[in-house]
Amino acid sequence: MGALTDKYCIVGVGETQFMKASHRTPLSMACEAVKKAMDDAGLTPREVDAITSFQIADSTDVTNVAQALGIRMNYGSVAFSGGSTTEALVAHSIGLIEGGYCNTVAIFRSMNGRTGRRMGGQAPGGVVPPSRAEGDAQFYMPWGFTTPAQHFAPSAMRYLRDFGASTRSFGEVAAAFRYHASLNPKALMRAPITIEDHQRSRWVAKPFRLLDCCLETDVASAFIVTSRERAFDLRQPPVFIMGGSARTYADNPAWNHSRPRTYIQAGNFARQRAWGMAGIRPDDIDVLSIYDAFTYTVILQLEAYGFCGIGEAAEFVKDGRLRIDHQLPTNLSGGHLSEGYAHGVALVNEVVRQLRHRADDACPGWAEGRHTYDRAAGCRQVRDARFGASLGWGTETRGSSLILRSISA
Amino acid sequence: MPGPIDYSKINIIPDQDTTEWWEGTKRHKLLVRQCKNCGHKWFPPFPACAKCTSMDLTWFETSGKGVLHSYVVVTQPILAAFVSAVPYVVGLVELDDCHEPDGSLTRVAGVMMDDEDAVAIGLPCQVVFEPTADPNFVMPRWKISGTAQNTWKFKE
Repeated sequence: MGALTDKYCIVGVGETQFMKASHRTPLSMACEAVKKAMDDAGLTPREVDAITSFQIADSTDVTNVAQALGIRMNYGSVAFSGGSTTEALVAHSIGLIEGGYCNTVAIFRSMNGRTGRRMGGQAPGGVVPPSRAEGDAQFYMPWGFTTPAQHFAPSAMRYLRDFGASTRSFGEVAAAFRYHASLNPKALMRAPITIEDHQRSRWVAKPFRLLDCCLETDVASAFIVTSRERAFDLRQPPVFIMGGSARTYADNPAWNHSRPRTYIQAGNFARQRAWGMAGIRPDDIDVLSIYDAFTYTVILQLEAYGFCGIGEAAEFVKDGRLRIDHQLPTNLSGGHLSEGYAHGVALVNEVVRQLRHRADDACPGWAEGRHTYDRAAGCRQVRDARFGASLGWGTETRGSSLILRSISA
Repeated sequence: MPGPIDYSKINIIPDQDTTEWWEGTKRHKLLVRQCKNCGHKWFPPFPACAKCTSMDLTWFETSGKGVLHSYVVVTQPILAAFVSAVPYVVGLVELDDCHEPDGSLTRVAGVMMDDEDAVAIGLPCQVVFEPTADPNFVMPRWKISGTAQNTWKFKE
């Protein structure tokens, strides 16, 4: 167990709609997400005294959000980093509160990820205009090697070769998460898909097809961290933070391509710390979120965090194992692949809602924790969900994790 | 062979750590960084040795030969420079003369001269220096240079 296990909680969650074109500023969306998270928790702006966010490409500053919502911050900052920062900011928050620097921290990510500045640098209308290749980019941009899909593809090729795996395993992941999205009224893509649909979708960067890639989304998503003492006074059942890892790196972080086996993801360097701090094991997890920038990133993280062995995940995901009512219900919101891409924050929100037993599904009583568990009627609450985790990905060489429990665990 | 790449649409900004590397490509040399203290080699040219922390560095001129470790086939252009080039293959080439006794190795990426059907993991590669419209920049690319056993090709 960690020194601070169960001493801090996630008490509020909120987000805007997941949109293809928001026609709004990231500032406006951030305010809505933070306001909804405060309302969800039953917190006033006077009771929130810190805001953190992170950005690459599109974003807004915490200062403007605080100003707009009337929050006086004892701490405010924006980290310059991408996927895997969500869980890292939880660790920052715990340290700041424990140290007495602030009391209650709102964490958000806001971006017009489709109509503003897109990941990989594309302009809203398509290809990138003439661009500057500086720093590390000197050694990939002139080689037409810039987007996340392009960067992760060589590792995926090598994985398929070394383990004799098929991209049908990627299709299993895509289809499972899309099924969950069909149970999530917030999700952008809700029409169920099959593995064959995945196999027929167009190539983006081989071995990745369109249905291997997450959505590009205009959205803001937020949640709030505070101490357990305060959490018990608030509106929702607290969700306790058991442990995790805060943006852990593999070796050769800046030139992943010279690591002997590029598919040995950063989680392999973090999992003993994370599970050790939490005092539980992968087997104990009832609801899981995995940063699904691509279907393939799910494969690597299942292995890295010990849900199966290295090279085993392509087999592990077969037969719907990641689906609700199966062994390891994963990305119950639909994830980045089907709900929408909020850079990891919304993945945490889903685990929190599941652990409260308040998944916001089609059940009329969801807000009071009354669920039918009838999937045909649109219920996506996992029965008796007690332990959950969110795994963050920021390339093969960096990753984060957050292990949570419900009040009944 | 992939279509032409319009390098004029990429503005390369060499810095103090990389200028000599780009100068090397103009003289058709594929350089990697090397530590004068312990001999370690690496790429890209970060300014310190990850094995011994020495910052007393030199350049090692590789043979420009290696083996294709992996690759991606880019079918959707993202950069304006590559609109006419798709589909193209970016290869990750493991350099023959940068293997070290402790297992560390150096891979350099680049656009293959070959089309997808000629490319397979395990095949030998040779660097090719491609002039650009700007005399200050010569671009290293890779071509398949022979055959090998136990190669692997993506076939889905």
